[in-house]
Amino acid sequence: MWLAPLPIKWKLMAVMLLTSGVVVLLTLAAFLTYEFFTHRKTAVSELSSIGSIVATNSTAALAFDSPQEAEEILSALRAESQIVLAALYDREGNVFSVYPEGASHDELPPVPGEEGYILRAGYLEGFQPVVEGDVHLGTLFIRSNMAKAKERFQLYFVLSAVMAVGALILAFIVSSNLQKRISRPILSLARTAAEVSASRDYSLRAVKENNDEIGSLTDAFNAMLAEMEANIAKHKQAEEEVRSFNQKLEGMVAERTRELEAANRELESFSYSVSHDLRAPLRSIHGYMNIFAEEYGGKLDDEATRLITIIQHNARRMGQLIDDLLSFSRLGRKELMKGTISMEDMVDSIWEELLKEQDGRDIDFTRASLPPAFADSVTMRHVWTNLLSNALKYTGRKTKAIIEVGGHEEGERVLYFVRDNGSGFDMRYYQKLFGVFQRLHSQEEFEGTGVGLAICQRILHRHGGTIWADARPDAGATFYFALPRP
Amino acid sequence: MKHGLMFRIIWTCWILTAMQALGFHAAAQVPDEYKVKAVFLFHFAQFVEWPDGSFSTEDDPVVIGVLGEDPFGQYLDEVVSGESIKGHPLQVKRFKRLEDIDTCHILFVHAEGIGHLRAVLKELEPRAMLTVGDNPAFIRAGGMIRFFSEDSRIRLQINPEAARSSGLMISSKLLRLADISIPKS
Repeated sequence: MWLAPLPIKWKLMAVMLLTSGVVVLLTLAAFLTYEFFTHRKTAVSELSSIGSIVATNSTAALAFDSPQEAEEILSALRAESQIVLAALYDREGNVFSVYPEGASHDELPPVPGEEGYILRAGYLEGFQPVVEGDVHLGTLFIRSNMAKAKERFQLYFVLSAVMAVGALILAFIVSSNLQKRISRPILSLARTAAEVSASRDYSLRAVKENNDEIGSLTDAFNAMLAEMEANIAKHKQAEEEVRSFNQKLEGMVAERTRELEAANRELESFSYSVSHDLRAPLRSIHGYMNIFAEEYGGKLDDEATRLITIIQHNARRMGQLIDDLLSFSRLGRKELMKGTISMEDMVDSIWEELLKEQDGRDIDFTRASLPPAFADSVTMRHVWTNLLSNALKYTGRKTKAIIEVGGHEEGERVLYFVRDNGSGFDMRYYQKLFGVFQRLHSQEEFEGTGVGLAICQRILHRHGGTIWADARPDAGATFYFALPRP
Repeated sequence: MKHGLMFRIIWTCWILTAMQALGFHAAAQVPDEYKVKAVFLFHFAQFVEWPDGSFSTEDDPVVIGVLGEDPFGQYLDEVVSGESIKGHPLQVKRFKRLEDIDTCHILFVHAEGIGHLRAVLKELEPRAMLTVGDNPAFIRAGGMIRFFSEDSRIRLQINPEAARSSGLMISSKLLRLADISIPKS
């Protein structure tokens, strides 16, 4: 419907105006239709009533032969402007008097006709007998111009149109005042709803104006707002509780972390001081054992010499263990000095040094090009030394050792690896690989303290990197490590 | 109508002259003036109301009487013949003397001498009778309607007081075209 997009106040006004307009138009149409169909009848009855008045008044004038009186009576017709011609005939049918005064007798019917009125060529005319008592005294002829009636009808039409316009203007004024009573509460409700949705302020309330349906709607709307307000308050309270609980939890975690760190530091310093303190008596044992072997070596039998050699060997091994433990502990405290390192140079220099201790071995070493790293050079050297010496160590029983070093950039990190064809290990024991003092091979098979890979893992963790391995027994192992790119 | 009347008068004069020349008896002919008066007498019946009881039945005749000398001849009888007023037929009666008058509604008094006239009218006053005459002193003598001539027309002089005192009502339409004359008593 075309009304649909209009605001409610215009809808109301349109409804009222249409209703009143239809009523006014129907009324006027009925009035004009009635007037149109009855105006001829009305004209006849008006003319015949005028005619009978004139006829009644002119009896004496005809009876007592007074044309002067007759003229006077006829001249009263001046008041009826639509009557254009009238005449009185006497008993014998002769013209007695005419109206207007001095009108030509040629226009008149020569003799009076039958009583009654007929419409002819825009004129209504007819005869009316003049009778006093039972006595016929003469006849009245009267002619009326219907153009006047038509004019009157047109005047009615114009007046009706003016009245209709006036009525509609009045209806417009009245309806524009009345519509406010209905639309104002609706508009205020709509405004409040818009404000609520714009500001999210659920404490607003719509003003109730009447006790009608809009009033109930306003009540329901306010009740809904109150409920939403309460819900939101509840929700906020719950959120607040969760937040404070989270804060408490975070505080607890931080505290626990601090406690753990402190405990860890204590443990580290304890193991450091223990290792440090163990070194002094061990040196004593070692030193005195050497003096003992030099001073009394010649005086002892073979069995004593063998036992002394075993004691010396174990003392040395214990010193090595303590040194490794100390360096592992130190790593926790030492600060990292990060810089850009050429990994190619570093690997080459370490390999050169390590080769000096390998005499007469058949080794096939390949170093591919390596991307530089951003890391602490001292600890990185430690990692490479460890991994390369491991590769040399575990290929010791192969007739031909194949050792391969490579690396490449991979996303946000740089990856390096060392691959060998040594004895490898069983992946079932992988969990033990990076543990302190955890070894997958016996001391008799391969030498070592079991601290090297644990130190490597610790270094890489401190750099934010990782280390992992892949291996098969007797088919070699590959050790990978990755560092984050700066 | 003026034209018609003049024509009629000339025509009548011519007829009269012709008839006299042919040796007709002049007395048998009614003068034109009295023909008009005869018609007027008849018309009075339409414009006057008589008091209750003037007619004993619905079809009692309205009696037009002529007292004394009759100037109308048979013409008056011709005028009223076949006519009726509100169901009452019309009848013409002629009275020689005052004492002869029995039932009468309109009386034409053709009396000579004002003294005699006054006496007659005095006598008739209590009776509901429209008195009509053409003596110049007729109203002064107590009569109700007098004929007089003006511009070759018959006109009327009326004393409505005299009619009212006899219980008669003269229509205003008739009074309007008459001269009203109320003599000082």
